[in-house]
Amino acid sequence: MAKKPNMGRQKIKIEKIEVKNHLQVTFSKRRSGLFKKASELCTLCGVEIAIIVFSPAGKVFSFGHPNVESIIDRFLARSTGPNSHDPFHLVEAQRNASVRELNLQLGQILNEVEVERKRGENLDNMRKTNESHYWWEAPVSKLGLEELEQLRDAMEELKKNVSQHANKLMNPSSMFVSNGAGGIFDQSRVNLVREL
Amino acid sequence: MTRKKVKLAFITNDSARKATFKKRKKGLMKKVSELSTLCGIDACAIVYGPYDSHPEVWPDSRGAHRVLAQFKRMPEMEQSKKMVNQESFIRHRITKAADQLKKLHKDNREKEITHLMYQCLTGKELQGLGVAELNDMGWLVDQNLKEIYKRIEGLKKAAGERDGVEEKPVADGSMQRAAVQQQWLTDQWMGNINPSDNQQGVGGSFGHGSGGWDEINMQFNDGSNHAAAMWANGFFP
Repeated sequence: MAKKPNMGRQKIKIEKIEVKNHLQVTFSKRRSGLFKKASELCTLCGVEIAIIVFSPAGKVFSFGHPNVESIIDRFLARSTGPNSHDPFHLVEAQRNASVRELNLQLGQILNEVEVERKRGENLDNMRKTNESHYWWEAPVSKLGLEELEQLRDAMEELKKNVSQHANKLMNPSSMFVSNGAGGIFDQSRVNLVREL
Repeated sequence: MTRKKVKLAFITNDSARKATFKKRKKGLMKKVSELSTLCGIDACAIVYGPYDSHPEVWPDSRGAHRVLAQFKRMPEMEQSKKMVNQESFIRHRITKAADQLKKLHKDNREKEITHLMYQCLTGKELQGLGVAELNDMGWLVDQNLKEIYKRIEGLKKAAGERDGVEEKPVADGSMQRAAVQQQWLTDQWMGNINPSDNQQGVGGSFGHGSGGWDEINMQFNDGSNHAAAMWANGFFP
């Protein structure tokens, strides 16, 4: 399944969570989401941020752009000049360039994920439709005895045919594979061929 | 709330950037606040805008100072253990996305091959398929066979133990048969069956409840494929 089944978006009351497990899970997810939002804000608007968060267990998580320490120092020193913290403009420019690159990369891969996810959804829908129309596509657990036996026979037949065709393609001259030197296939698949 | 996909890049349009900054900053502060309340933890956020040399701070200046003091009291190693900046954080996101993509690829591949398998089961030619597909399909067929054998065994055992209990196949809900009849059927299918014999003996079962079988019959009109031929021999005279 492409998407893990969860309860979806539930509206919750903003008050301390009672169940420890829920609390920990919520902390983990929301902390991650918070840093993501902070990162996006930095990228989109070119601003400097620091966030410090203590976990329920007492560990500390922090996010900072350009980095946590410089923001803390700046805040505590109460310096008003925006450039007073980094005389090395070159370093900063370099850093910003690499962040730009990384964001591009991230954007690309997120798009690819979305494409695959949609593809998975379509495949799921197709399967659902087929399952309701053709009994042999239904999950095995829902089938009766002779449906299973029919299916078994059909599958065995298909297995034979698949082996034959695969063999023909891998060894056009001979019908048999002499050893497991198929090379690119993993063991379970080599066994299938060996069975012939 | 508008749901337009936003590019992960600096917003060059000044007014758009200003509006985004205002909105997102507000949202960020809200999220920190919620996290703090929901999980009962200490936190602070410091945002330096491009227009104001004074940062916006959550919870407030005093609260932030308190949290920072708490932070600084921790050993250096603890402070930096879970510390990230843009670079490390985005890299981490990329890694996570890459893993997710890999898993999706794998799952989708399995779904595709499953679909292909069912097509081949009902008449599609194996001729045009590549080695990779054949191998993946072969593996999947094996997996399915394992499950089928397991369940057949389970059902036979159960049928043997509880005589008289009926099994309802999926194809037609109205098909009811006694375990005895089923056992007889099973025996028929195990050996080489003469379809005509079968039709007589079972009587009503295949006679009227043939909705499912008709469908199968419709599925393959070309007798050129192995699988189709096999099925045809089994059920249709």
